[in-house]
Amino acid sequence: MAINILVRFNPARPKAGDEVRVQIVVQHPMEPGTRRDASGKLIPADHINEVNVTMDGQLIAQVKPGPGTSANPLFAFKMKANKAGQLKVTCKDLNGQTGERTADLTLA
Amino acid sequence: MDRRTFLKASAGAVAGTVLANQLTSALAQGGLEGEDIANLEKGLRQVLGKSFKDLTPSQQVKLVAPTIAESGANVPVEIEASLPADQVKAIHCFCDKNANPLLFTVVLNGVLPYYATRVRVAETAPVRAVVETKDGRLLMASQSVRVTVGGCG
Repeated sequence: MAINILVRFNPARPKAGDEVRVQIVVQHPMEPGTRRDASGKLIPADHINEVNVTMDGQLIAQVKPGPGTSANPLFAFKMKANKAGQLKVTCKDLNGQTGERTADLTLA
Repeated sequence: MDRRTFLKASAGAVAGTVLANQLTSALAQGGLEGEDIANLEKGLRQVLGKSFKDLTPSQQVKLVAPTIAESGANVPVEIEASLPADQVKAIHCFCDKNANPLLFTVVLNGVLPYYATRVRVAETAPVRAVVETKDGRLLMASQSVRVTVGGCG
């Protein structure tokens, strides 16, 4: 099952040269591997360990979250909206599942 | 005193003042609630290959985190560095008492030196933002987060 990713720009349509906040939310339980289930067995770790953000094919940010990141994590960046382009977010978890989402940044 | 010796002497004096300033700010940063440098060093060694002494507390790094978090499972953290975007290489975040002290690492390339996320904090302990610059400096900001319910199990 692919991991679901949500991407939002704030403001949604920035003016050229303005700062834009990119908010990425990934729907994932992010099991840290330290929690126990009802019968006392350790729940194996299953968290996202790599998130790559590219803009028009160029890598602009890479996040490596450890087990200390919350469930359904938020990753937020700020960048200068110099030109319109396509933002692509890919992520990978410890079980080898991947997720991908593209979002178009349009200027006002 | 000729010009050369004067320059040497004044350079020494300036360096001394800078060092003293760093020392006082390091002392000011110390004594945070729930501090556990030994555990933190473990994570620092693993990720950066550095020890706690190599980190410079800096006003240029701004860490926004709640002083009291209801649930340690979901603590919003915001890190901002007042440095030019092209000088910042990566942002690391550590928490002293977590079983795995490294919370996350972000490598930035072309975005502004800002990052926001939500982290887990096991128990009351300082959260430390470490900004790695291109010229190898490690700037740190710390803030203690008091946790009522732990977030790691």
